Amino acid sequence: MIGMTMLDLHPRVAATTILERRELADGVVLLTLHAPELAYATQPGQYLMAIPPSGEAAATALAVYEAEDKRASILFFVTGKRTRELASLACGDRLDVVGPLGNGFDCSGDARDVAIVAGGVGIASVWLCARELLRRGAHVRLFYGARTAELLVDAKRFADAGCELVLATDDGTRGERGFVTDALVRSRKPETIYACGPSPMLRRVGEIANGFGVRAQLSLEETFGCGVGGCWGCVVPLTNASAQAPNFPPAERGGSDVVYARICKEGPVFWAHELRW
Amino acid sequence: MNPQPALAIKLGKLELAYPTLMGSGCYGSGEEFAPFADLSKIGAIVLKSVTRLPRLGNPTPRLVHTPAGMLNAIGLQNPGIEWYLERELHKYAGRPCKIVGSVAGFEIDDYAYICERLAARDEIDAIELNVSCPNVAREGETFGCDPDLTARVVEAARATTNKTLIVKLSPNVTDIVAIARQAENSGADALAVINTVRGMAIDVETWRPRLGNITGGLSGPAIRPIAVLAVYEIAQAVSIPIVGQGGIETLADALEFFLAGATAISIGTANFTDPRIPERLVAELQAYLTRRKIGSIQEIVGRAHVEIATAHQYEGDEG
Repeated sequence: MIGMTMLDLHPRVAATTILERRELADGVVLLTLHAPELAYATQPGQYLMAIPPSGEAAATALAVYEAEDKRASILFFVTGKRTRELASLACGDRLDVVGPLGNGFDCSGDARDVAIVAGGVGIASVWLCARELLRRGAHVRLFYGARTAELLVDAKRFADAGCELVLATDDGTRGERGFVTDALVRSRKPETIYACGPSPMLRRVGEIANGFGVRAQLSLEETFGCGVGGCWGCVVPLTNASAQAPNFPPAERGGSDVVYARICKEGPVFWAHELRW
Repeated sequence: MNPQPALAIKLGKLELAYPTLMGSGCYGSGEEFAPFADLSKIGAIVLKSVTRLPRLGNPTPRLVHTPAGMLNAIGLQNPGIEWYLERELHKYAGRPCKIVGSVAGFEIDDYAYICERLAARDEIDAIELNVSCPNVAREGETFGCDPDLTARVVEAARATTNKTLIVKLSPNVTDIVAIARQAENSGADALAVINTVRGMAIDVETWRPRLGNITGGLSGPAIRPIAVLAVYEIAQAVSIPIVGQGGIETLADALEFFLAGATAISIGTANFTDPRIPERLVAELQAYLTRRKIGSIQEIVGRAHVEIATAHQYEGDEG
C-alpha cells in the first residue's frame, strides 16, 4: 500500500461554520455546515452530536442529512430547548459537532428494486442512503409519510434525484391519507427495505418486511446521553446472536439470548429481524 | 519562569497526574471517548460498575433530559464479573491514565468477591465501591443508606486488597456525614461524593412515568449545590480525601468543590455536553493556579471553611 494515504474515517470534534440556514416548513430547520472532514467521512445513516453553543444542555444527536464537497447538513424539527437553541443560529455562526458516529446503512449488495421508508424527520437519515443506492443503479421507491403536506419536506429533491415517490399524510393533504406503511404493504415486494422514522412505524416496517420475506434495515431513534457508547442510556433489545450485539455472555454462560444494544454505538441502524422489541 | 503548578494528587496509594476522574457509567471504558478526548490529560477513568452475575439492565427509556440535568436509570447493565475478567478487562490495559474498577453488589459477600478478583488484575489501579446505585430495586442503595451496612461492605472489601478503595456515597440519606465517618473507620482510602439524587419525571400526555424504571438518578448542574454541601460537611468530619462530583462543567464549578474540601473532582454528565470539557478544565485549573501564584491545587482544598461571621447566639435557642 506504499504511496496510498489511509482514509481517516474516525469521528472527531470539529468546529464548523454555518453556511446556510433555511426553514423548510414551520419549525423545520436545515443548517448547512462547512465541515470538510465530516462531509468526507460520513457514511449513509451516520449521525453527529451537535454541541450546544451555550454549553447549557446535553449535545443533540442528529442525522447527517447531506454530505458533499466540504459541506454537511442537519435537518431537524424544533421540539424543545435544545433544538430551539440550534434553530436560533445564523449564517456565519460556529457550531461544534462530534462525528460521524454510529453504524449506518449497508448500501452494498446488488438489490435492484429497493424501498426506503421515511416518517417525518426520519427523512434526514435516508438521503445519503438513497443517493448511494441510486448511484449503484437500483430503482428506489421512497415511501414518505408526515402529519401534513407541509411537513413532507424536500420530497422534490428525492424525486429529482430519481426516486419514485409514494407519499402519505395523516390528514390527507398530500398523497394517501393514513400511514405510509399501509402504502408499503400494498405495494410490489421490494428486494430489500431501508427505514427511518418513529418507533411504531419502524416496528410495522419490520413486520411488513417479514411478511414479504425480505430484510429491512431500521435506523432507530431514542433519547441519547453521551452519544458515543459510554453511558448505555439509549438501548434496544437485540438477539445476542447478532453480529451487532454488545459483549455479553450467552444464556448458557449465565447471560441471555436477548441483550440491550446501544443505539448510538452498535446502531443506530439494525436489521429488523434481529431486534426483539 | 515559574514551575508549572502541580495538579498531581493522591487518593490513598493512587497517584494521579491530574485531579480529574471520569465518573462511573459516564465514560464507558474510555475507548468510546478516545477518538476525540486526550486520555493522557485526565487523572483516571472510573469504569462502569460490575456485578457478580450478568445484568441486562433496566427497560427503556433509560434517560430523560431535565432542567439543568438528566435523569438516568440504566440499572447496572454489565456482563458479570467472570465474563468481564475474561473478555473485557484486557482492553483497558495501556491506557494513558489510571483505571478505577467499580464494584456493585446485592450481598456483602458480592463486594468482597468482586473486589478481590478485580483488584488482582494489573489493568486496575484502584477500586470504587458503588454502595449507592439508586436504580436497582432498592437493595443496591441499601448498603450506602445504612452506616453499619456501609461499614461491613467496606471492611469486607478492604480485607481483599491493598489497592486504593474509594467508597461512593449516596445523597439519598438523612445523614451522609455519619456514613462517611463509618466508611473511613472501616478502611476506605477516599470517598466519592455524591452519587445521583433520586428523582422522577412524568409524561403528562400519556400520564405515565417517563423512565422505564419509573424512578431514576438525577445528575448535572441541578444537583451541584447538594454535592458541594455534602463535600463541605464531610470534609469537616473525615481526614481521608474526597472526590467531589455533581454537575461540574466549568472552572468555577471545579473550584467550588476544591474549596469545599475535595482533593479531586469527577466529571460525569458534562461529558455528554462536550467531550472536551475534562481537558479544558485541567488547562483552566493550571492557568488559574499560575495566575493566583498558587503552587499546588492541594493548597486550595477546603479553603472555604469558615465560621458564620455574624452568627447570633440566643440564650435557650438551639435552633
